[in-house]
Amino acid sequence: MFDGYQTSGLFDEMFSEPGVPRAHYKAIYEQLTSLGTEAFLRRARMADASFRNQGITFTVYSDQAGVEKIFPFDLVPRVVPDHEWQTIEKGLEQRIIALNLFCQDVYQRQQILSDNVVPADLIYGAKMFRREMLGVKVAKGIYVHVCGTDLIRDDLGNYLVLEDNGRTPSGVSYVLENRAIMKRVFPSLFGKYRVRAIEDYPYNLLQTLRHVAPGHVDDPLIAVLTPGVYNSAYFEHSFLARQMGVELVEGRDLIVDNAFVYMRTTSGLRRVDVIYRRVDDDFLDPLCFRPDSMLGVAGLMNAYRLGNVSLVNAVGTGVCDDKAIYPYVPDMIKYYLRQEPILHNVKTYICARDDDRKYVLEHLHELVVKSTNESGGYGMLMGHQSTKAEQKEFAEKIRADPRNFIAQPVVQLSQHPSYVGEGASGGFRGRRIDLRPYILYGSKPIVMPGGLTRVALREGSLVVNSSQGGGSKDTWVLGPPEEHDPVAVPAEAQQ
Amino acid sequence: MTSYSPMNITSRPTPGSMATGPAARPILARDADAIYWMARYLERAEHIARSVQTKLNLLADSGDLNPDLQRSLWESVAQTQRAAVPEVAGDPAMPMARWMALDPANPASVLGCITRARENARGIREHISAEMWEATNAIYWSVRADDASARFEESPDTFLRSITSASALLQGLTDQTIMHDQRWQFSQLGRLIERADFTCRTVACHWHILTGPLAEDLDLPLRNIHWMGLLRCCCSIEAYRKIASGDLEPLRVVSFLLLQEGFPRTVRYCVAGANQALEAITAQTSSRTAHDALRTLGQLDAHLRYSRYDALNDDVEGFINHIEHEVAAATGNLQRSYSLS
Repeated sequence: MFDGYQTSGLFDEMFSEPGVPRAHYKAIYEQLTSLGTEAFLRRARMADASFRNQGITFTVYSDQAGVEKIFPFDLVPRVVPDHEWQTIEKGLEQRIIALNLFCQDVYQRQQILSDNVVPADLIYGAKMFRREMLGVKVAKGIYVHVCGTDLIRDDLGNYLVLEDNGRTPSGVSYVLENRAIMKRVFPSLFGKYRVRAIEDYPYNLLQTLRHVAPGHVDDPLIAVLTPGVYNSAYFEHSFLARQMGVELVEGRDLIVDNAFVYMRTTSGLRRVDVIYRRVDDDFLDPLCFRPDSMLGVAGLMNAYRLGNVSLVNAVGTGVCDDKAIYPYVPDMIKYYLRQEPILHNVKTYICARDDDRKYVLEHLHELVVKSTNESGGYGMLMGHQSTKAEQKEFAEKIRADPRNFIAQPVVQLSQHPSYVGEGASGGFRGRRIDLRPYILYGSKPIVMPGGLTRVALREGSLVVNSSQGGGSKDTWVLGPPEEHDPVAVPAEAQQ
Repeated sequence: MTSYSPMNITSRPTPGSMATGPAARPILARDADAIYWMARYLERAEHIARSVQTKLNLLADSGDLNPDLQRSLWESVAQTQRAAVPEVAGDPAMPMARWMALDPANPASVLGCITRARENARGIREHISAEMWEATNAIYWSVRADDASARFEESPDTFLRSITSASALLQGLTDQTIMHDQRWQFSQLGRLIERADFTCRTVACHWHILTGPLAEDLDLPLRNIHWMGLLRCCCSIEAYRKIASGDLEPLRVVSFLLLQEGFPRTVRYCVAGANQALEAITAQTSSRTAHDALRTLGQLDAHLRYSRYDALNDDVEGFINHIEHEVAAATGNLQRSYSLS
């Protein structure tokens, strides 16, 4: 099944050199090669049927044909050994603390701006900067309660932060469901590894939500606010509400009266204290933001600013995951924490800076250009795969609105074996992957030991987003190695 | 690491008048509405499937039947759902069966009902059990599948039986896998009101046709077969046999379906059950506006319980009309009390 597998020039997660699996992949490799194609496919079909019957689907907006799709699931798990995870965990904790201090600073005293560590015009120019939040005290001073930070590995295997998602990161339900399905389909493999459990995520999320309940509430009523069944992430909203045992509400279920938020129930109105909102800032409150929003609740911002209801994440966190502010995160870590960043950024050119812009315009053919306000893989130029016409179009866009663009060198993401179908070019092939771990911040930062490993299923593609034909796999973070446990001791550590 | 200074929030008084009610955890009005309709659509899908299945079996071996009678019996299946009846040339059996089962142009088809049941279920995942959701999904994907039409053509009976079985499975799961709180009561309410409604309409249609001019020429054995068909549509043939031991006198059949005590397919049973469910809901929700619906259902319950067998003698259709009217009035009140509209 591994016939014709190429590892040239890239960092391969499974193989240290052609045909030689790394120590922490040995058991998986052996099981896959002994399994045979037919047995593997049977398991893949089992997994697909399971996803479909459970309605674990997402919606693709540009696709007219079917609203509901299964997120393609690749059965080969990605394994992260303990010593690598230790670094990732510490780095992510450091990062979410810094991002929170930054948000608090921006909306309160703005010291980082007066000390010229981050240019003020970059903040005020951010589309996601919310002046409505200036001077507002949010519960416990926490802004980014839930963060999904995208990590990639370069050609040497170093973990780099590609971006932070500090607004309403999605995908965590797939992490939990992928694991549940792997346990059903490959139960024997778990016996050969010490895979760390991730099932306590909903509990931790609930504790985080309870932690930021308004001070006047003893037993807070918590709700997940969803845009509705037609939203692409509806499955996740419903999943999390069920897992936490809290209400799932839409904007039309809520009303604001006397600056408190209530939901309409069969027993009349009930006060809502904490809202885990999966609705963007823009749509939260038609009185405050977009007046045409049908998804929000009129008067919600007023209740929020008075501290009568808590929103998770806070309004205005878009300033910390803006792609043009991302290059300053290492500076924030140094400024607020007086520490060196544990996880490094990808080198980034900010088109709003004259020198950077000049360099970007001259090197469009070898850079990845991203719009600072888009996510999900939309609005990107992959320089090395683009045509002259596309480059010209982007050059014009950049000159017209430099604040809206950044550029990064192409990082050759690491690859991982994925099953790509039957036939001569089928079997297992290397496909590029990234990793999105989820970090919670309530009474303390909690990094889920795992995350969403996304796969670019198209050959040679570097874009892993589900909206661009990406899939996912289960991610196994291993527990600390034991001496008699040769599998969990990585080859690198033995040398 | 810099520590956060905790916020000082002085406790604010909460407006007590808006937060009164029992301690039981309330559910969103929109969700109650969705639970109610999920149950109704599933029940409806089951009735349509069983009606079509019965008619196919029945009309397969009465080939020399008056074509007009045959057609009107088929049309009665669509009429119970107030669905449009397509123009059919020749033998109406398979075209009508297909129309009521799977035609995407017919919103009242089995396919349409299962789709809407599942749409409602999708919005209330946190109120129904995982087992209920998976069973709903399984039947949904089965009727949506590319080969659904082919399977139907090959054996309509097997196809339709899978619908009635799925509905039975879901009712069992509803009874056995969720709390019997107001969620379950709303589901009961939807299921029983739909069943009462369907039974009334089916009885009325059959009465109209089988005592009308088209059926005058039928000989007795064939006539009996059609009365048995009505009982089969209502899943009642075996229970009826135990009570009436082979007597297929029309008034007796009709009064059984409307007034029989202790059998879950009769209108009397459904109205009593719906009334109980609504009483339980109002006790939990302290809703004042539901009292109108409660009064209507209570009066109807008493009417059915204390009606004599010969109450039907003079005017079967009038008797059924009255029931249908009262059920409609109660559901109208329910919508106003509990749904968002």
